[in-house]
Amino acid sequence: MGLPSLYRNGQNWVSEVLGEHALLVRPENEELEHIHKLISEMEGAGLEGIIDIVPAYSSLAVFFDGSKWDHHTLIAEIENLSEGKSSVKAVQNMIEIPVCYELGMDWKDVIRQTGLEKEQIIELHNSKIYTIAMMGFIPGFIFLNGLDAKLAVPRKSTPRTGVPAGSIGIGGNQTGMYSLESPGGWNIIGRSPKSFFDSSKNPPTLLKAGDKVKFTSISEKEFHRG
Amino acid sequence: MGRLTAIDGGLFTTIQDSGRPGYRKFGVPVSGVMDQKSFRLANWLVGNSKRYPVLECTMKGGKYTFNDEAIIAVTGALMHPKINGEEVPQNQSLKLNTGDELELGFSTRGCRSYIAIKGSLTIKQVMGSCSTYTMGKFGGFKGRKLKSGDVIEWDETKSKDLTRKAPYDQIPYFSSKVRVRIMKGVEWDWLSEESQDGFSGTQFEVSSSSNRMGIRLEGHSLRVPEREMISGPVLPGIIQLPPNGNPIILMQDGQTIGGYPRIAKVLDEDLWRLGQVKPGDKVSFSFT
Repeated sequence: MGLPSLYRNGQNWVSEVLGEHALLVRPENEELEHIHKLISEMEGAGLEGIIDIVPAYSSLAVFFDGSKWDHHTLIAEIENLSEGKSSVKAVQNMIEIPVCYELGMDWKDVIRQTGLEKEQIIELHNSKIYTIAMMGFIPGFIFLNGLDAKLAVPRKSTPRTGVPAGSIGIGGNQTGMYSLESPGGWNIIGRSPKSFFDSSKNPPTLLKAGDKVKFTSISEKEFHRG
Repeated sequence: MGRLTAIDGGLFTTIQDSGRPGYRKFGVPVSGVMDQKSFRLANWLVGNSKRYPVLECTMKGGKYTFNDEAIIAVTGALMHPKINGEEVPQNQSLKLNTGDELELGFSTRGCRSYIAIKGSLTIKQVMGSCSTYTMGKFGGFKGRKLKSGDVIEWDETKSKDLTRKAPYDQIPYFSSKVRVRIMKGVEWDWLSEESQDGFSGTQFEVSSSSNRMGIRLEGHSLRVPEREMISGPVLPGIIQLPPNGNPIILMQDGQTIGGYPRIAKVLDEDLWRLGQVKPGDKVSFSFT
């Protein structure tokens, strides 16, 4: 709304007012890699008065201190920020997440809707390498990109009131993990004994958007051993 | 060190401060008090720094025994505070003696009261804040609302007694009809012209399922645009339009990413008013 677009990393970004002290920017090609690259460049610059930089699927939000920035000065800063020399890939971590597929709660629905055997689904799910697109909507929920199109299953029409912590689910064409017990509408196909969110730590997780994730299948016995 | 014991924690009493910014990228909401104005006033009345944690009481405050003497203040919703059964005024500092019992009843105006205690509550910070986020079960007192038997402690500041009273014009009036100022949201243009024209001026009703995550509105459902929304960042004050057409105003414990069109945003300056609306109240919007 009334904000100039900006040019950066070889393309145009649309900028919009998200709040009085929050700017939304969106690369015209809406590519996740561009969003993650800009975030790592902004974080690397360590700008004073920037409170939060939040990645999402096709945009990112910058929350700023109103005594130091306004939407226009921030847009100019983003445009002029020196481009990171290293490619995004250089700073990506690879995280392995053990999953007990036996503890999935929605196998019936997932088998019916994909038309595949359970074994095929597990094989397709843990043979891929995923990218953390973002974390949110609630603490430690991890949205992963890269689900095999054959595994896309719509969200449940009635969300569960309590999805156990560690649950791995499919929601539309995404897969993801619930770090905390919470309500949720994704189809749960497994559970991990690992937690990637600890509120007593600061930061509460070592994961970040852009990191790579691989699932490995474990038995129920191994799950209970932790 | 001072101490109080909850005899009855009321309906939903939590420890809150100015919030937990800086962790949104991990999905951690900003949390903090729902009514900044009454929060600041409460801390001022007891001579505390304006960011200190306080007790935020919702609809009914509860009963607390003070095991040590204290200077306190109650602000916000009218919960008719009583000390040892005797009604005492809000919006001014109050002296409590050892063994005194403070009771806050049902609110007759507004939704949330704030109890500030002179000194600093000894609450462990989680990610830089004492605010309780009940859904994540962290922050504040054990990550939950207060219940009978809970003991809250504070560091006594050995300064002299203090008598402060809020100037009359600093005490807000909590109406059951609230009008807040808004600006257009990122997806405002998705609304039909008719919905846009009717939005400011329509009176919505506050639903009983409203809470610290969001104020849910009903009574006038809007036409939902038939466009695919890609989940994007949100913040307190954003008005989302879910498929049922009943707008939700995100509040302090609201999610960090939302999948519904962001049709408008309540101005930060007016957000405290929404921290005081209760089920059945009327809310309308006006453009600045």
